[in-house]
Amino acid sequence: MNPYIAIGLLLLLSTGLALIIVLLGAVLGPNNPNERKLEPYESGMVPVGEAMQRLPIRFYLIATLFIVFDIEVIFLFPWALIFRKLGIFGLVEMAVFLLILLVGYIYIWQKGALEWD
Amino acid sequence: MNTNVDWLQRSLAIGPELLLMLGGLVVLLVDMWLADDDHPLLPGLTGLFMVGALIWSFVPFIPGMGITPGTIYGMFALDNLTIFFRVFVLTSSLLVLALTTVYIKGRTEQTGEFYSLLLFITLSVILASAANNLIMIYLAFEFLSLTSYIMVGWLRDDVRSNEAAMKYLLYGAISSAVMLYGMSLLYGATGSTNIAEIAAVFANPRTEIVGIFNLGITAAVLMMVGFGFKVALVPFHQWSPDAYEGAPTPVTTFLSVGPKAAGFAIMIRVLTGALGAQTESWQAMLSAVAILTMVVGNLTALAQTDMKRLLAYSSIAQAGYILMGLVANNPADNFGIRAVLVYLLAYLFTNIGLFVSVIGFEQATGSTTIDDYRGLIRRSPFHAMAMVIFFLSLLGIPPTAGFLGKFLVFGAVINAELYFLAVVGMLTSVISAYYYLNVVRVMFFQGDEEDRPLRFAFPLQAVLVITLVGTLLMNLYPTPFLNLIGEPTNLVTQLFGQLPF
Amino acid sequence: METFIPSPQGIPWLSIVCVIAPLVSAIVTLFIPSGNDNAVKMWANVASFAIFLGTIFIWLFAGYDPNNPAYQLGEVAEWIPVLNVDYRVAIDGLSLPLVVLTGFLTWISIFYSTRVINYRVKEYFFLFLLLAVGMFGVFIALDYFLFYIFWEIGLVPMYFLIGIWGGARREYAAIKFFLYTLTGSVLMLLAILGIYWGTGSFNLVTLPGLMQNSEVFGANGNFLVKSLAFWAIFIAFAIKVPLFPFHTWLPDAHVEAPTAGSVILAGILLKLGGYGMIRILMPLFPDTFNAYWIPIAVLAVISIVYGALVAMAQWDLKKLIAYTSVNHMGYCMLGIAAAASTLDRGPELMESRAIALNGAVFQFIAHGLITGALFLLVGVIYERAHTRDIKQFGGLGAVLPIFYGFMAITTFASLGLPGLAGFVSEFMVFRGAFGVGLQAQPILAILTGIALLGIVFTAALFLWKVIQGLFLGTLNEKWANLPDMHAWEMISVVPLVVLFIFFGLYPAPILNLINQGVVKILGMMS
Repeated sequence: MNPYIAIGLLLLLSTGLALIIVLLGAVLGPNNPNERKLEPYESGMVPVGEAMQRLPIRFYLIATLFIVFDIEVIFLFPWALIFRKLGIFGLVEMAVFLLILLVGYIYIWQKGALEWD
Repeated sequence: MNTNVDWLQRSLAIGPELLLMLGGLVVLLVDMWLADDDHPLLPGLTGLFMVGALIWSFVPFIPGMGITPGTIYGMFALDNLTIFFRVFVLTSSLLVLALTTVYIKGRTEQTGEFYSLLLFITLSVILASAANNLIMIYLAFEFLSLTSYIMVGWLRDDVRSNEAAMKYLLYGAISSAVMLYGMSLLYGATGSTNIAEIAAVFANPRTEIVGIFNLGITAAVLMMVGFGFKVALVPFHQWSPDAYEGAPTPVTTFLSVGPKAAGFAIMIRVLTGALGAQTESWQAMLSAVAILTMVVGNLTALAQTDMKRLLAYSSIAQAGYILMGLVANNPADNFGIRAVLVYLLAYLFTNIGLFVSVIGFEQATGSTTIDDYRGLIRRSPFHAMAMVIFFLSLLGIPPTAGFLGKFLVFGAVINAELYFLAVVGMLTSVISAYYYLNVVRVMFFQGDEEDRPLRFAFPLQAVLVITLVGTLLMNLYPTPFLNLIGEPTNLVTQLFGQLPF
Repeated sequence: METFIPSPQGIPWLSIVCVIAPLVSAIVTLFIPSGNDNAVKMWANVASFAIFLGTIFIWLFAGYDPNNPAYQLGEVAEWIPVLNVDYRVAIDGLSLPLVVLTGFLTWISIFYSTRVINYRVKEYFFLFLLLAVGMFGVFIALDYFLFYIFWEIGLVPMYFLIGIWGGARREYAAIKFFLYTLTGSVLMLLAILGIYWGTGSFNLVTLPGLMQNSEVFGANGNFLVKSLAFWAIFIAFAIKVPLFPFHTWLPDAHVEAPTAGSVILAGILLKLGGYGMIRILMPLFPDTFNAYWIPIAVLAVISIVYGALVAMAQWDLKKLIAYTSVNHMGYCMLGIAAAASTLDRGPELMESRAIALNGAVFQFIAHGLITGALFLLVGVIYERAHTRDIKQFGGLGAVLPIFYGFMAITTFASLGLPGLAGFVSEFMVFRGAFGVGLQAQPILAILTGIALLGIVFTAALFLWKVIQGLFLGTLNEKWANLPDMHAWEMISVVPLVVLFIFFGLYPAPILNLINQGVVKILGMMS
């Protein structure tokens, strides 16, 4: 049997299944809309203000920087656990890694990314 | 295969990569304390690190260095293929660097970051082409993609540049996700992410249970989405004309060469390495993709009026020709892969040469419209004649590098007795003659009322001469270039011998 | 007996005269400072004349033995050892006359262009000399890879010559010429690769033998693969010849090309196709050629008759002559088909086959000289009247007596009047084809009979259309004051006329040469 037939079947089945589920819900489910139900979902809260509000770009910047440095620090823990096993090579590796991090840190500092205004 | 070799020696073996990384950081730091954005120290340092890495690339050839072909922790393959791509991408980066120095003046303030990114993208291409493990492949692939997105969107005030970066990013994100899914299937099927180990599992007859074996094929299909995106194969090509058009032209130049090379290197390693047992299946799939790519790329190129878009579609079509070499590869002698490498090298000289001309013209006139090339032969004869030679090379007409590439690729195809593929390839290359010569027609047959001579900055002239010499020499005296390629997949075969089962 | 004799004293005469000299002259042209058009012209003339003398030297003084059928003045140098590609050139009786013809017509064309071309002079002569490299190269190359490279090199300059210095529809004609020829050559490239994988060689000296012994292409090989390869190469050459139905690029290219370009196109480029058929197709695919000789002969006869008839319908003088090229090259193809027709039969047919093939090759030379002269003469009248419409002319005989004289003798030569070169070749083709036909292949005899109609039609069209239309009848007053041919125009035409008269009366020196090559080729086929 041509192996591509299996792939094709998989594609057909998965698409079909998804379609069926959506269609079944639409056809069988009761449909009683009211004002509350049609409101956008905001975790159960009553929506406040405009949806298309503009946020200061700095929030994104800070969030990104936080993720970058936070995640990268996580690498230090497993390294510390097997530090003896890795030996001097591991130390050098981690030093290189931190050096890169440091350069990045100096860079964003220098560029003023850490200042709020 | 010396996996117990001293780590210092390993660092020596990946010296070019370390140097590039260091270079990227140093340039970044130096830039911070330079008041002048156009300070010559920046491109100077960048070039220095690249040249250093290029020289270091040849260190493994020195006997007595103790560097033997092998892998570093199974992650980074050190073999002829890696060395080839090191030299390949460093050469193209150096040429692109020369173009950048001319192009970047007055266009952006963030010059230091640009040079630093150029070093990093070079590093990422090398890492991608040397990656010997699915995880490493994915990391290098993403590293390459992220740096490319930033570089495409470099001209922050240019709407087209922004649009290009956004399109590139969206396409890239989706296709790499699909590719990752394929990789996860491979891992699930074989329990390993190492290319050689995956291959060993598939090659072992005991495990040739239909399901597992076919998972390899499914994985190949899914991963092709990612690879196809990187080298712009139809139907994953739609981003490339916009990205090519919107990106700063030196970036376009690099995009048309570097990521393509990386994509093909990964394809060579994954398809012929990990999925060697499924060769028949993926070759059938790739031959369909190759036909589609050549037909769509060439036919769409016919309608283009912008030089950069024309070159984008032309490079899509060229990827189709390169792919044919992989389709027709015979694992016994790897002739097809060698043809792919020769073609890539030919493409490097030819395409960078063409882009130099485009940049020079853009610098002088601010235009990339084909019609504006009217009467170029009178305004800058050398430049126009060089462009003709580059176009002939893309077309595969001797005595140019492109001819040698096409000759070998079609040689592989004929040897594999894929006559239909060969005829489609040949006929589409006749179609491509029409749009390549259309530019020649505009440059040579149509007069220019103004007749103002065009002047080219020195770095552009230099790159033009280098690429021109390369393009001609590769056909007239090809032996050194063919030697550079040597036995391309040494390592893949050697690894099979080294495995414990 | 030695089949490949190196050049005496190891002096690479062929490379020097046929490759290096034109290439270097072309490059030197580029370095002459712009504005010095006269210097460029002077240089191109001197260089091309020297190259022409060089080809004469090769013929007579370089140690070439005309009675030896071997490849002579050979040079071999390793080029791409990985692919087994060598730089291998040599000449034999088949290629030597064509090499000399190339040198001669290149010089004549450049000489004629000196007065006519005053626009973008430097490029023009550069391209012309570059074109010579390609043409010479095809004739001397004995490595298929090298052959292909020269074959393609000739393509590009012609594209520019038509596209820049051509007539009103030059851009269309140029790209059409390029695309047609490119289609053929890419098909040939695939076949070359197939041959390489089948035999491991590009060496045209040893390939005939290797082909016979190869698994795929040998006598017991795969007929389908052999046929594919054969037709791929055949179409490449047939487009160049051009053979019906691949001829449609030719009228456009001829009409739009500048005069000298037409001369080279008709005189040399068309011969590349015919030469390739004899040099490559016949020895490499003897039995395949033999299997398909009937369709090829039919196409040849269609080219002959159709070419003549369509020529007769033209009112554009240049287009008319372009179509007679289709007709005349049809004779060559008929001769080639006749020579390939009876491979399995004994030596009793050898004589007729040899005569047919000799006629075909001699037709290359004769047609090159005659049509070259015709295009020059069309150029002469076009320079004066700025039209080529036969309807607008008439009665020019009294106004342009010298031109009339040249035109008359050249058209007579073209229609095959005995005593002129065209007759010799056409007679030989018919004699050979009839001989083979009557002895062994009745179909060939019938086809040859039909082809004879072509002679009648060409005679009619030349006498009626050209001679009567241009020179007899009432004079259009517009042309009453046209000046007759200038001395420099005569200098360009006279050598051609002298040669085709001379070879018409005394073809032996050329025929002896050709015969050596032809007999060798036929020997390779059996």
